[in-house]
Amino acid sequence: MNDDFLSGFREDPRPEFTQKLWDRLQTIDADEKAPRAWWPGGPLLVGATLLALIVSMVSLPPVRAAARGFLDLFRVKRFAAVPVDPERLARLREGKLDLKTLVGEQVEILTPATGPEVVETPEVAAQVTGLVLKRPTTLPRDAALAEVRLRHPGAFRITLDAAKLEELARVLGVTDVAIPPEWDRAAVEVQAPPVVAMAYRRGDDEFVFLQARSPVVKLPEGVNLVRLGEIGLEMAGMSAEEARIFARTIDWRSTVLVPVPAEGANFREVEVPGGRGLLVTSYRRPKDGARPGGRWQSVVLWSEGDHVFGIQGPGNGAEVLEMAQSVH
Amino acid sequence: MAGVRPLEWLLPQAARRGELDWEAVYREEMPRVFNFFRYRVADRATAEDLTSLTFEKAWRARDRYRRDRARTATWLLAIARNVARDHFRKNRPEVPIGEGEAASHDSPEAAVLRQDDFARLSALLDELPERNRGLLALKYGAGATNRAIAKLTGLSESNVGTILHRVVTALRSRWEEIGGKP
Repeated sequence: MNDDFLSGFREDPRPEFTQKLWDRLQTIDADEKAPRAWWPGGPLLVGATLLALIVSMVSLPPVRAAARGFLDLFRVKRFAAVPVDPERLARLREGKLDLKTLVGEQVEILTPATGPEVVETPEVAAQVTGLVLKRPTTLPRDAALAEVRLRHPGAFRITLDAAKLEELARVLGVTDVAIPPEWDRAAVEVQAPPVVAMAYRRGDDEFVFLQARSPVVKLPEGVNLVRLGEIGLEMAGMSAEEARIFARTIDWRSTVLVPVPAEGANFREVEVPGGRGLLVTSYRRPKDGARPGGRWQSVVLWSEGDHVFGIQGPGNGAEVLEMAQSVH
Repeated sequence: MAGVRPLEWLLPQAARRGELDWEAVYREEMPRVFNFFRYRVADRATAEDLTSLTFEKAWRARDRYRRDRARTATWLLAIARNVARDHFRKNRPEVPIGEGEAASHDSPEAAVLRQDDFARLSALLDELPERNRGLLALKYGAGATNRAIAKLTGLSESNVGTILHRVVTALRSRWEEIGGKP
């Protein structure tokens, strides 16, 4: 008997087992990636991300302005919900548009935002990120701090492709929006700040409190933000008239629009430290429609000074809101 | 609409989990984990179940994997050891290996001989203390290095080598006692 003999009983896993397990892992991704998303709102926003991205891409500035340099800055001051027409998402699916490729080709990572990295304590996270960390003083019953994660700062650039935007608009059924040709190759730079996430757990429930400085979005000057906003909202599903009215109520230099599916979710403004925040609650159906056990998931988003905060957790919003209101 | 939005930042997803190709990791490491369990439990079906459990746990936790702290193989085997521990806590220790089907590339005759050897070895492994059996599964099932085993178990590398040497020597002696081929 020697080492070779002892090792000689290794076997290759059955191919059908190998494939079945891999398929199972993909199912886990589909089912559970969103609740574990780094930023709150995962289950709610993942489906709407595409539309948000459309809104972003439509909002890009003329290339002649870009030539003058990035002079316009955007910082987060407020979150506002935008109901998203589920039919638009359905059209995207039916259109078989490879959005991942479409968007991915336009995004250039300037500095990878590495992480998440698990650190021992909030103090370590504060030291690494330079943030003066806040904490909720009221926690859901039986929940306790289980993990502190941080994501390092990064930067990326989105470059427009007018032809692809037109294709996107066509698939969405938006026929009265002309993508100005000068938008082609226009670029927006986003500087993503370090983010700290504190995960509080109660059994299988996880409440995640995130905080960061506002990201900074560098834009070329001279953009008609209101008009661009109208176009984006129209692509998200509003009528032209609704978009026109809504766009004039928004401060486009400081407001993050949070796409909320028009069905299966609701939102409202809430009181939070420092002012008003946005509470969004959505119902996640189990993937297998015949199986019971869907659940509610909520997220509160707000800003205070030049910092942004979010708390995501299970439930109809009462617990995450109570946490948010105790943050100091 | 300049107000919108740091989307990649707001919703970082799998694309920015890092450069690791998890499918490649799966293809490479799953057989190691599977064989770790093959050397720990009685049958292939249980080994497959425990392998599945290990990868499901790892998959859910992969956002938190840090390649600068551990190789993926070491990280996965650490999860596998915990899964094995939980399994044995809930179930009486089973006869390790021996009831499995022979490898598909064996001829029928070779398969019978191999299965016979495997059954004998299984009986011997079953006599070993839990810790030593675990070390053998890591070394000969998963093909882990002594250094990786040391990292996983908290033993020193030299200690791992010494223990494995003693265990294999004792196994060899018992193997000859029961009439196994040299």
